[in-house]
Amino acid sequence: MTVTTADPPITRWRQTLVDRPAIALGGVLVVLYVVTGLVAPGLFSANGIRATLLLACPLAILAASQTLCMLTGGIDLSTVMTANFAAYVAANQSGQGPVVALSLALLVGAAVGTVNGLGVGVFKVNPLIMTLGMASVLLGVVTVGLVGDGFLSGSTRLLPVVTEVASGTLFGPIPNNVIVWAVVAAALVFGLSRTGLGRMIYAVGDNPVACRLAGVRIWQVLLAVYVMSALLAALGGLLFSGISGSVGPDQTNAYLLPSVAAAVIGGTSILGGVGGYTGTILGALILTVLNRLLLTLDTTEAFRQILYGLIVLALAWVYVRVTGQRGT
Amino acid sequence: MTTAPPPVVATPLPRPTSRATRFWRRQGWVVGVALLLGVLVLWRSTQIPEFGPFEVRGLVAGTMALALLAMAQSVIVISGGIDLSVGAMMVLANCIAARLMLDQDLGTVVLVAVLVVAVAMVLSGLIGTVAVVSGVPDIVVTLAASFILGGLALIVLDGPGGGTDPRFQEIIVGGFDQPLPSTLWLAAALLLVWVPFKRSRLGIATYAVGSDRPAAFLSGLNVGRTRVVAYVLAGFYSGLAGVVTTAFTGSGEPRASIGATATLTSVAAVVLGGVALMGGSGGLLGPVLAAGCLALIPALMLGLGWDPNYAEVARGVIIIAVVMIGGLLQVRRKRLR
Repeated sequence: MTVTTADPPITRWRQTLVDRPAIALGGVLVVLYVVTGLVAPGLFSANGIRATLLLACPLAILAASQTLCMLTGGIDLSTVMTANFAAYVAANQSGQGPVVALSLALLVGAAVGTVNGLGVGVFKVNPLIMTLGMASVLLGVVTVGLVGDGFLSGSTRLLPVVTEVASGTLFGPIPNNVIVWAVVAAALVFGLSRTGLGRMIYAVGDNPVACRLAGVRIWQVLLAVYVMSALLAALGGLLFSGISGSVGPDQTNAYLLPSVAAAVIGGTSILGGVGGYTGTILGALILTVLNRLLLTLDTTEAFRQILYGLIVLALAWVYVRVTGQRGT
Repeated sequence: MTTAPPPVVATPLPRPTSRATRFWRRQGWVVGVALLLGVLVLWRSTQIPEFGPFEVRGLVAGTMALALLAMAQSVIVISGGIDLSVGAMMVLANCIAARLMLDQDLGTVVLVAVLVVAVAMVLSGLIGTVAVVSGVPDIVVTLAASFILGGLALIVLDGPGGGTDPRFQEIIVGGFDQPLPSTLWLAAALLLVWVPFKRSRLGIATYAVGSDRPAAFLSGLNVGRTRVVAYVLAGFYSGLAGVVTTAFTGSGEPRASIGATATLTSVAAVVLGGVALMGGSGGLLGPVLAAGCLALIPALMLGLGWDPNYAEVARGVIIIAVVMIGGLLQVRRKRLR
């Protein structure tokens, strides 16, 4: 066992990596991209790049909501159900025009986020349990709504604007949804590092007791975080429905683990206070390329799952070892 | 120059609490869950014309796998962690058991059952070791592990299939109207495995590590080893849950969503059962009773003539409400002190 020996002095390259995780992650991404490209040459074409960006976008946006919650030391397990629900509402109400339908979808997100935020912030429910319970409630609501003449039954025609934004092409290899992603990314990267709320999110995740003693109203910060998280989830769900061309009560559920994994690989600590959205973007891209690599390998679904789990674990392990960012 | 010693303040001695108070403080939550379960069972018995051994058998045998899974999750939570791979472990054990038990005689089937539980213990111990050695938070490790285990289950069995010996089914879950075997097995899992473990050094170490890891380390406990032991015990229970599922359904089913749902329900049962997610408190009886309550909700709704899909909503609301009430009670208790 080499684990119990005293920590070696942190070398300079390690310190650089700790300060700038994006460098290492970028390296991993490039290597992975080249390897995948060698197996599947289509990846180097404009179409290949477009497909990667297109698929990475909803994942990155769901991972953004995960990143926000994780920075405060929480987690949001209701993101995917919120995403499904919002996409369903938007498609179901598409007859009333895009403005009403999209507002309703975002309203769903805001409502879910408010309840989550109040539970976590005011009633001090463990975030894992709160969002787990919320996912359960949403699953039930959607299922009941779909049965017979429930409130979600009826036509599910996607809004043209959703399809256009989610799967259209801006120019060359750049799909339209990258615009949405870029706006979200800019807002998050700027907001987290340059605004009061952003700094507060880190502070609450780093040391809630110190924050409380310093007079921070923690519940307001948490409420804001969970509302933003659910809004991002709703947005991610809309984009995903645009790509898949349909809505389903569990269509984004497979994104739950990848969304957490993207944030973890990107260097956001699940214990709170450390990380940021830049890393998560790279994490989402890495996972998308990885998925592509696994798909090109001529194996069964079972092997792909195992490899996926192993690689996510290995990346997280390497990250923790290199940066010395150990959970107790 | 010497400073005067600080004046001695006479602190009032705390009065000793009575036995009843101590019992209520320690077991109050479990008693409450037991009462709730009793009320739910009574309610259910008024819904159907005849409530006899057949219904009891259906209830106990149907809850058994979930109760065992809740026990697995409780052990990990008591040791201060959380395991999101218990459901996948159950599915994997179910698949291995169903595949190897198909068309075998009773002796082989029992041997396979023991083997499957052993495999689950080894795998779970491995997951625990990775979590301890790597220092990656256990949520991440077990989430990734749930993918790996799900993949393994698909390799073992690529679709619903497999089988087992009908006599083995009878031994584990009881015949048509025999509630006794399943009840006894559950009691054995609690009394013959958990109670001795809880009273052993390892069990006390598990509580200590879950309660305060640095303090446990400073008092000379091997924190890493204790955590791995907790994972091995959890593997025992989730492997058992897989074997029980095989006996109950008579087949194997590798669908990953079953594992995910089961994991979430196990967390819910743990919380409802009075095991604090902070670790270091609670026991295994509460989660088992809570698993029974959770399993009764859909049946009750059906009896009321409601859409059983509302059960999912009710389950979520109950979980959240219970945790809120628990949190409020804790706050009040702190104020009283």
